[in-house]
Amino acid sequence: MNELATLYRYRQLLAALTARDLKARYRGSILGFFWSLANPLLLLGVYTVVFTIFFPQQIVRPYPLFLFAGILPWTFFSAAVLESTNSISSNAGLIKKVMFPAETLPLVVVLSHLVHFALALPILFVAMAIYASLGLATIHATAALVPFLMLLQTIFVAGIVMAVSSAAVLLRDLRDIVANLMQLGFFITPIIYLIDNIPSRLLRALLRLNPMTPFVVSYQDILFFGHLPGLADTLLMIAYAAASMMLGIVVFDRLRDTLAEAI
Amino acid sequence: MWGRRSQFATLKSALLKRDLKLAPEASVAALRSVSCVVDRGEAFGIIGRNGSGKSTLLKVISGILKPTSGIVRVNGRVAALIELGAGFHPEITGRENILINGIMLGLSKREIEKRFDSIVEFSGIGEFIDQPVKTYSSGMYVRLGFAVAVHVDPEILLIDEVLAVGDEEFSQKCIAKIQEMKYRGVTLIFVTHQLDQIRNLCDRALWLDHGAATAIGDPARVVDDYLQAVSGAAPATSPAAAEVSGAPQRDEEERWGSGEVVLKRVVLTDDKSRELVALGAGSSVAIEMDVEVRVPQDDFVFGVGIYHADGACVYGTNTDLEGLMPQHLEANGRVRFVMPSLDLVAGTYRVDAAVHTRNGRAFDYRRGVLRFVVGSRVHDIGVYRPKHQWKFEGGIAFREIDNLKRNVPAAVVEALQSSEKKKK
Repeated sequence: MNELATLYRYRQLLAALTARDLKARYRGSILGFFWSLANPLLLLGVYTVVFTIFFPQQIVRPYPLFLFAGILPWTFFSAAVLESTNSISSNAGLIKKVMFPAETLPLVVVLSHLVHFALALPILFVAMAIYASLGLATIHATAALVPFLMLLQTIFVAGIVMAVSSAAVLLRDLRDIVANLMQLGFFITPIIYLIDNIPSRLLRALLRLNPMTPFVVSYQDILFFGHLPGLADTLLMIAYAAASMMLGIVVFDRLRDTLAEAI
Repeated sequence: MWGRRSQFATLKSALLKRDLKLAPEASVAALRSVSCVVDRGEAFGIIGRNGSGKSTLLKVISGILKPTSGIVRVNGRVAALIELGAGFHPEITGRENILINGIMLGLSKREIEKRFDSIVEFSGIGEFIDQPVKTYSSGMYVRLGFAVAVHVDPEILLIDEVLAVGDEEFSQKCIAKIQEMKYRGVTLIFVTHQLDQIRNLCDRALWLDHGAATAIGDPARVVDDYLQAVSGAAPATSPAAAEVSGAPQRDEEERWGSGEVVLKRVVLTDDKSRELVALGAGSSVAIEMDVEVRVPQDDFVFGVGIYHADGACVYGTNTDLEGLMPQHLEANGRVRFVMPSLDLVAGTYRVDAAVHTRNGRAFDYRRGVLRFVVGSRVHDIGVYRPKHQWKFEGGIAFREIDNLKRNVPAAVVEALQSSEKKKK
């Protein structure tokens, strides 16, 4: 719980570093912050074209919205974890030369990807509104639960990111391991397919062992299908978030003192 | 293969055994049994060859590194200038970087906003403050970093080799700022290869060699010992190495040097070569040194320094500074430093006398070799009394009273009496 106190003390630093991260990312580019929106917008456009023109036979309709509801939380998770493998070593100067609370570095990664996620959501809602106005979809009241899911997911992502970022300093291979795991993860998470369409019960249970499964399924539930997340999924999300946070704190705490030397 | 294996071992051992030590083949002890106490408000210098552990020591003090054994106790807010501008991000402006750097050094957003103008002014960055830092020259970068760091109002300031960068003007400004902080009671610990800074700024110095404390004490002495070791001379005959612990006692003479040339006797005399201990302001005096030459030299400098009792240097010079080229020092002799009029204000003074090479290696350095008292019937203040007169014209007039009837400061009388006794 030491971590939480430290975090509170450094909240201004966290906020300033996150703002710096977001500003620096687009400084010097002409479209600037618009790129945060352009990327999901393009993605949505491509999916819409591909799945209405090239593959009109869809498992659920409208498939682009279903896909988008799952892909946004997945991108938040995978991009944050992937970037975290580099977050401490790319700031070696800070760790080695300044008395600096190292845990802010992975958390800045989480926060800045959370901001990107939050900026992409309105695009999903606009797309939903357009589909709704064409009578192809409805906007569900359950979508109002998105902030709660985001909070739980952020805790889950933060724990993983803290563990991965500190371990990656000592174990450089982690970067490549994570990159490959993420590619595999995309397919063992029900993003492009429906978990209920899987014939084998055993396989469905195994898929739920993937901690991202209950999160993605729940986002799809509230955004696309318009019903509340299942009880099992909710409990799983809480359990995964708590376990991940604990893992993150323990690992980071044990490795903290070696960071400045090992980096 | 080996590298990778040791890395696996590190992660595993760190996670499972809580054993934070690196694998033996990968670790080097950067510091071994260095013990010292730095008092509040002290300026403490650290010198040593490259790789002797100076920066590691600073990092350990600042908390960036954790010692594998031993304890570091620090009381007070620390600002560490290990590398100026270490936290700057090249893509964002100077203004934004000041904010982030200040927060990293422990200020709140509001505190930084309050100091913002003074930081910008000190850095001399001007209108570039709203440009991305990547457009700055390295000098500007460093100036901004230093400006932020000194505005954090630390109680303890750790400085690593950073005064060497930047142009002459800025480096002067930094030194002035550091002196100001020292005056305000900030504890300074700094690492530098510019030995003059150690001599001029520090109260004490530490010489690290291969991670161990070789000498701690008076900065001039430690620097001399260090220079001697670096120039490869025979081990000093001085007792400095033995005096590793404890601050030097300022009232007693300290002496160090190689002993190839020795100042056998150093006295203050009047113009008739009679030894003096007390004198009046404006007396004609000389510092007389009897020189014994044990090994003839062709590179030698004689120097004298006069210090006020509170430690301030009144005057210092040497033959080299005054353009005297050494020719030969073959046999014993006498050096006289003649001052036709020593215009000092009443007080106690201390004299240093030295003979050394032109690059500062001491043959014989005698700190506080003699003391003298200047007495005066006038209660003027300061250290230097220029020859002067009061002149009045027009409707301003004074009536002179007899100075003798006025009280002479008790301290001066006492000093005069005690020096009188010593003479007998």
